[in-house]
Amino acid sequence: MAKTPYQPPQQSKFGQFVDSLFLLVLVLAALFLPVYFGLAGGGKTTLNLPDASWADLGQNATMAQQWEKLGYTPQTAHELIATRFDYSFSLPALLITAFVVIAYFWLVFRWSAKEYKDVIAERFDR
Amino acid sequence: MENLNNFQLLEYAAWGISALLGLWMLTDMIRTNRAHSEETLLSSKEGEIEDSLVIDPPHQGGHL
Amino acid sequence: MTQYTAVHGEKVSLLRVLGPGHVWALGVGIVLVGEYMGWNFAVGKGGALAALIACWAAGMLYTCVAMIDSEVTSTVAAAGGQYAQAKHIVGPLMAFNVGLFLVFAYTMLEAANAITLGYLVQTVGGMAGFADTHDKPFIVLTIMFLAFLNYRGVYATLTFNLVITAIAFVAILILFAAVSPWTDNVLKPHELLNGLPYGWLGVLAAMHFGMWYYLGIEGTTQAAEEVRSPARALPLGTMTGIITLLIAATMTWYICSGLMPWEYLGQAVTPLFDAARLTGSTPLMVLLFVGTIFSTLASANGCINDASRAWFSMGRDRYLPQVFGAVHPKYRTPFRSIVFLVPVALVFAYFAPLDQVITFSILSGLLEYTFMAFNVLMFRKMWPLGTIKRGYVHPFHPLPAFVLLALCATTYFAVFLGYGTQLVAMMVFYIIASVWFAGHRYKFVKRGAQFTMPWPRPVGH
Repeated sequence: MAKTPYQPPQQSKFGQFVDSLFLLVLVLAALFLPVYFGLAGGGKTTLNLPDASWADLGQNATMAQQWEKLGYTPQTAHELIATRFDYSFSLPALLITAFVVIAYFWLVFRWSAKEYKDVIAERFDR
Repeated sequence: MENLNNFQLLEYAAWGISALLGLWMLTDMIRTNRAHSEETLLSSKEGEIEDSLVIDPPHQGGHL
Repeated sequence: MTQYTAVHGEKVSLLRVLGPGHVWALGVGIVLVGEYMGWNFAVGKGGALAALIACWAAGMLYTCVAMIDSEVTSTVAAAGGQYAQAKHIVGPLMAFNVGLFLVFAYTMLEAANAITLGYLVQTVGGMAGFADTHDKPFIVLTIMFLAFLNYRGVYATLTFNLVITAIAFVAILILFAAVSPWTDNVLKPHELLNGLPYGWLGVLAAMHFGMWYYLGIEGTTQAAEEVRSPARALPLGTMTGIITLLIAATMTWYICSGLMPWEYLGQAVTPLFDAARLTGSTPLMVLLFVGTIFSTLASANGCINDASRAWFSMGRDRYLPQVFGAVHPKYRTPFRSIVFLVPVALVFAYFAPLDQVITFSILSGLLEYTFMAFNVLMFRKMWPLGTIKRGYVHPFHPLPAFVLLALCATTYFAVFLGYGTQLVAMMVFYIIASVWFAGHRYKFVKRGAQFTMPWPRPVGH
């Protein structure tokens, strides 16, 4: 069955401009909104360590020597050493995130397959 | 000019050069858009691999 | 470099002038900066040993990526790389998403590079005794200069990349030789390594930044319409590229973890430069400073090249406004795409925090690799071996695809630990963009004409 090829409409210069702008705004929103709402960055905790000496901070002689070469004292290095990531997370949050990622891929592949059918039909059925 | 040290000069130079490069690209883009028809500018087509093996460097033209 | 102005029958196209060396420079050039900065955040997330495990696990992920990519791209040789692959194998909406993954992964990486370079120049200015120094002018200059170079022609751009990438790589080799790793005079891994401070969860979390050792190697495919013989040069350049990176990554880890306590290494901005400082040798310090600057330049340069190629090919197919599909008649570059992406990169480099920018880049890359695993499975099924000519056939199929999927799943979890909100924000962004494309944009796209490869009808369609 011979199909007439789909003829796309010409897009006006203004329409092209609006589309470019839309993408730009969307990208900026995706990057800056999490920052703006202060949702970015991982959770951190601070270990309770005394900062009198390198040994108190759990550093051996070699480590202490390297810290000093880098220009640190036990006092200035304290914050770097005592700050740890907090990897505790909630299972529901994990499940929701996993669901979003999987659903996204599933939908995109499904919809693509639908559009791909037309492409193949038009390319090979003539 | 007492408080203008070398590093500040470097910073101003960086701003200046950036502006010049940006201006150059903008004017060249506008001039190119004017000098050629939209059809010519948009005439590039996705290449085919077999084709490219045949036309090596000496042939630099566009192809279908 | 002579630029050709050949315009045959009112047609202009990109210029085929590149060899395998340029492909190597494009791939490694983008990535090598990851050795100079960024990978060490993996140390912060799980300790030095976790970073090594992540380095090799991510190395495996990227070896799969490189093998799969080499096979598909040696067959679908078109600017736009994975975007053109998706268009031919999966379908339009996926292709649109992949195109966006590419543009954002590269543009964000470009911004991150400019930020790092600006920071380094500012630091050196401070070390030289100048007060009140700024990084912004150098951030802007980096982006403008490299955009200018890209605008003026691909040959000069990538030859420049070849030279500075080679220098940055040799700098790592020299540093490695200089710390004489066969003795324990300089390196003290026995005393500095401390096991796994976060346990095995830390190893998983380290995968997040373990990607940074290699992110961008898949960009070699963007040069497909500008290399002289894509079927040969692309696999060759990509494979030698990943080998180079595996070597550089392991050396970098060994040098740095033998010199710095992990708590310092885990948050250092320029770890290799710090390593050179710790050796106490001024020539080494200068060398690694130059290496760091060159690697950021090479990376940003390659990113502009790749992002503009992807944007250009989407414009050419009208996935994006068609004005972006223009080629400069004299310089033979996608000049409008290059210019359009300049302000985007500037905004991010100027206003956004570095870890945000990096995470945005990593996530876009991760989505792309997930796609690639499915893509190659479909590719082998729809066009089995023998039905079309392939420049390279990757071994052990389908094992690399499944390994890649498993490693991607692990990395999603690693990103979730600490950056879960960004992950969701990114997904929302791509979902809205997809709805926009399917509901509005796709009506401007020609259907059959976008399938340009001279292949037979796919099996099962």
